[in-house]
Amino acid sequence: MAGFWRRARPERREEDSVAAVRRRIEGLRGLVDGNNHVLELIAKAGEMLGGEYVFDRNSLAAMAEELDAAARSVVFDLNAITGDRYPELVEAVERVGASVRATLESRPFAPEGEVVVPLDGIGEELADAVGEKMARLGSLQKHACCRVPEGFAVTAAACRLYLERAGVPAVAERWRLQGRAGEAADPGALSAELQARVKATPVPREVARAVQAAVRGLGRAAPGARLAVRSSALGEDGEVSFAGQYATRLGVDPPDVLEAYREVVASLFSPGVVRYRVSAGLDPADALMAVACLTMVPAVASGVVHTVDPTDPSRRVLQVAATRGLGSAVVGGDVPVDRFELSREAPHPVVSRHVADKRVMDVMGRRGGVERTEVPEGERDRPSVSDDDLARLAATVLRVERYMKSAQEVEWAIDGHGELFVLQARPLRLDASPALRRDAAEATSRAPVLMRDRGVVACRGVGAGVVKTVTGLEDALGIEPGRVLVARLSSPRLAAAVSRAAALVTDIGTTTGHLAAIAREFRVPAIMDAGDATRILTDGAEVTVDAEENVVYAGCVSELLEEQLLRRDTYSDAPEFRLLRRMLKKIAPLNLKDPGGPDFFPQRCTTYHDIIRFAHEKAMEDLAEGQRLTPRAGSRDVHRLEMNVPLDLLVIDLGGGVAPGEDGVPLTPDRVTSRPLRAVIEGLTTEGVWARGPADMDLDGFLSSMTRSHALTDQLALRPDMNVAIASADYLNLSLRLGYHFNIVDCYLSESGRDNHIYFRFAGGVTEMTRRTRRAALLRQILTAHDFATEGSADLVIARIKKMPYEVAVERLRMIGRLIGFTRQLDVLLRDDRLVERLAASFNQGRYGAAFR
Amino acid sequence: MKGKPRVLVLDDEPIVCERLKPALEKSGFEVEAFTDSRKASDRLMEQRFDVLVTDLKMQGPDGLEVLRLVKERAPSTHVVIITGFATVDTAREAMRGGAVDFIPKPFRISQLRDLIVSLVEGPKP
Repeated sequence: MAGFWRRARPERREEDSVAAVRRRIEGLRGLVDGNNHVLELIAKAGEMLGGEYVFDRNSLAAMAEELDAAARSVVFDLNAITGDRYPELVEAVERVGASVRATLESRPFAPEGEVVVPLDGIGEELADAVGEKMARLGSLQKHACCRVPEGFAVTAAACRLYLERAGVPAVAERWRLQGRAGEAADPGALSAELQARVKATPVPREVARAVQAAVRGLGRAAPGARLAVRSSALGEDGEVSFAGQYATRLGVDPPDVLEAYREVVASLFSPGVVRYRVSAGLDPADALMAVACLTMVPAVASGVVHTVDPTDPSRRVLQVAATRGLGSAVVGGDVPVDRFELSREAPHPVVSRHVADKRVMDVMGRRGGVERTEVPEGERDRPSVSDDDLARLAATVLRVERYMKSAQEVEWAIDGHGELFVLQARPLRLDASPALRRDAAEATSRAPVLMRDRGVVACRGVGAGVVKTVTGLEDALGIEPGRVLVARLSSPRLAAAVSRAAALVTDIGTTTGHLAAIAREFRVPAIMDAGDATRILTDGAEVTVDAEENVVYAGCVSELLEEQLLRRDTYSDAPEFRLLRRMLKKIAPLNLKDPGGPDFFPQRCTTYHDIIRFAHEKAMEDLAEGQRLTPRAGSRDVHRLEMNVPLDLLVIDLGGGVAPGEDGVPLTPDRVTSRPLRAVIEGLTTEGVWARGPADMDLDGFLSSMTRSHALTDQLALRPDMNVAIASADYLNLSLRLGYHFNIVDCYLSESGRDNHIYFRFAGGVTEMTRRTRRAALLRQILTAHDFATEGSADLVIARIKKMPYEVAVERLRMIGRLIGFTRQLDVLLRDDRLVERLAASFNQGRYGAAFR
Repeated sequence: MKGKPRVLVLDDEPIVCERLKPALEKSGFEVEAFTDSRKASDRLMEQRFDVLVTDLKMQGPDGLEVLRLVKERAPSTHVVIITGFATVDTAREAMRGGAVDFIPKPFRISQLRDLIVSLVEGPKP
């Protein structure tokens, strides 16, 4: 890595080196501020998904603008510091901004990627590519809620290819021009033209090949299987607005799948759909869909179930419509079907039964398609489903409901072997009746309150169950699903348990942390930072967590749960929330994780997070590199500090940081007059903090460190390198590369205390994710105990503290010094979760050496 | 016993009304929510509300006009402005026009709820 000064202006380096550092420090301060601002906005956007916030489209647009401006300023500052070394980063900001704006404008959008995705590879995160129906089926299967048919999705990207091939964009453009010219184009004619184009165009070869390969794969798994081909609309809005308007082909023979696909895609422009788009002010030709291809279940019985009675949810029953054969007869609603009501309580007995006289049923036709046939005389008035199968159906759909966190409408089928399949599940859109709301209000006024307004809501919702407290060493994997998880710390190791929990309450933690994000991902009601929840909520007791109101009640308040299942304001389905979720994907993921890795380039930045991470790293690197100059003979500004610890530190004095000394004599700590640097040195040199020699690496730690791209020989020798302190009387910017870690301390320290701040950043580190996660947990635990606000991920911890009195600030800086020495090799040592607590305790008690034995 | 305090929510974005109405009802308020400022103004003419929560930028009469109307007809009604970042200046103007507070969007539901509770329970201005 060539230093900036050596490359750019070698001739001026000696004259104004310290002045240049001063200027660059100013640039860096701007960059750090911008960086923090972007991080805060990203964290807030994530937090907003939890449902505690009220916002609209305009708020999202304003937020996007603010993010864009902040990211731009970071890039500007970086280029100012480095002499325009990263013009590509400007392009990256443009790119990210454009994709965020496209998202906000809700233009149909096909993520780049596969044209075909098998159902068992689909989760909710692929909803933009595979549509709502398939995303839900995929995630239900993934979370073991139910069995679903085999199948695959033909993605939105495939559809876009096809429509481009069919010349749809040109027609769309003509329509827009006509609109602008004030000519009233006829939606009927537009529909006819678009449909004709699609039907006349063969499916693009790359799509056709992928579809045929997927169909062959299904054929191998289930020879002779036929397929159901139907739309999987993009976006909840599309699913609701166009319900029943898109084509569906049932019982499709494998050789006919492409033709069925073409027909389904063409229905994107059916007359009704085009007219609807025109009337809704949308561009009628600007549309995409994903298509679901699922094997047909050779059903002996099928139907639809509602997990509550939509007209009176307080009855606590499931309603089942069922028939013999395929479910098309039930969905079509044109023949009499059996109707059952089952109790929502296990074992789900039948509470009412109406068996219809079923003269006809739908079966798969011998030559494809669906045929309606007569039901044999003696079977017409027999129930289409046994009570045992009904009970099984009830248990299954209630699992689906629990996972989806709202009342559901589920299409199901049972095959000749008695296997139960879920063919489709979607929220039952109802409004909680005033009566139900009243019941809930009365029930909550009677229920004993265990906690109220303690902590902060990270994810809204209501959940009830038996409390499982986690205060330390419990095995997180062994926690049963459906418990109310009450944890002392928001430890990342609880992630798997949280995803299956009825609710989450923590004593310590933030709404922007990892566990909160997991809770939001799985819509688990969550209250963080509640102080002493683990003391108040006893293990084994049944409680109801109302994370709408931030209250925990004793016992199960079933009225509240029922009302919650039917809330129309189940926020996570609102278009604004879906928009925010899509927007977050464009801004928040961090793809550039390893500054030493091959992907650490501006061109690889795909989110704002990537951009600021890149900029911050390069700014710090440039600053650290820039000071690696050989001090001019007799320089009064650049010094090598000698300490009794194995750490080389170059001190650049910006003024008042170092007391005058004799020329040629190395700087010793007693001559440091910079207040913050003195404090850090005192911490670093505390007896016992600095372990001598490298920590023993166990095999796992060693092997995982091998996969990192650092030069291992250097790392294992733990040779201190590139350590620079830029200091004035009251300011310090310290960058330390210690072994695997990169620490930055940026602080201001004055007697008045008003502007005092400490920023501590810890990054990097070999070893695999679990240990890095533990190390981050340990650091955050220690820093939090010392009043720092912390954030970050497994490989990055950022801690801040502001506006504290001088003496406190000095003590905190000493602590940071001790912490830097202490954690130098911790990730290698952190072999299991129990060590986190123990090491934090020994650090806080000043028993630094204990950790290394 | 006095009836429930009455709150009128006015915001042309349906999502805001959909979120606030049930949340505030759950906290024991009688809530009416409007996305149409004309309809809201008509309602404010016939019914006195304890608190008006209104956006500023809207089709038809905007938030400032609704504020003026309320202050003429029912000066004791507390007016809370909820607004996007872009209209903070207008929000200041609203404060001068008699609004008690403004909360920029996005905001936490609990923040608005706590404010309304304190307005309803606290001493009248």
